[in-house]
Amino acid sequence: MGRRSAQGRSNAVRGARTAMGLTQADLAAAAGVTRQTVVAVEAGDYAPSVYLALALAERLGRSVEDLFGHGAAAGVAAGSAGDASRSEESTR
Amino acid sequence: MTDQAPGSGVEVAREGWFVRAAGRIGDLGSPFYDEERQRDVWDEASAVGFQLLLWLLPGAAVVSVWVGGAAAVPYALVMLLASGLSSGVVLAFARARGLDLGAAVGVTVVRWRLLALLLLLGAFCAGVVRVTPEDSAGRGFGWGMLGGAVLGVAAVAWSQHRARRASS
Repeated sequence: MGRRSAQGRSNAVRGARTAMGLTQADLAAAAGVTRQTVVAVEAGDYAPSVYLALALAERLGRSVEDLFGHGAAAGVAAGSAGDASRSEESTR
Repeated sequence: MTDQAPGSGVEVAREGWFVRAAGRIGDLGSPFYDEERQRDVWDEASAVGFQLLLWLLPGAAVVSVWVGGAAAVPYALVMLLASGLSSGVVLAFARARGLDLGAAVGVTVVRWRLLALLLLLGAFCAGVVRVTPEDSAGRGFGWGMLGGAVLGVAAVAWSQHRARRASS
């Protein structure tokens, strides 16, 4: 509907944010937007402008392609799983 | 209207008095618009409100004339003028900001809406002709507007036909 609708395309913002231990409010403050906007971006209800995407990527330490590219959600999920297994191995 | 960015050789858009004045009316410099999703959602909400007014005002004008008779004609005209003025400002602002409606995506839908609007205007004019006394200026005005509405419908239909031929 909306011209900025992401049409339900998934992205890796939530995965990357939780992996860094950030709250939605933290990320929103860092990117200079409201928490509602972060919620909408994570839900795939809103496609951010290139500038907001860059701000989110910078704060989350990833590239825009990592966050919003094709298969981004799966990539970060796999990356997070890899990080988790690596940290488990390092604690053994 | 463009300026040359210093040393860059790149032309940048310069806002004219109309865009600046319209920006004041729309309060477009408000910090509210700094948050991009807030701005986008508000833009969409405003579009809904504008479209609603665009239909409600001519609709109310038609009902006023057919129900209220000759006494309601001046008030109905004010409603139509308000609707027309607002639409004109919207189109002029879009054009001043570089939106060419002729080349815009989905303009066919806009033409169909225009056709419906012209039919509504036709109903208004028919109402004016019906309620104003014969040989009065109002009757002549009503016939004139009715003729204009018929010509407008024909023009939209012709442009629709040409658009279809061009796209096939």
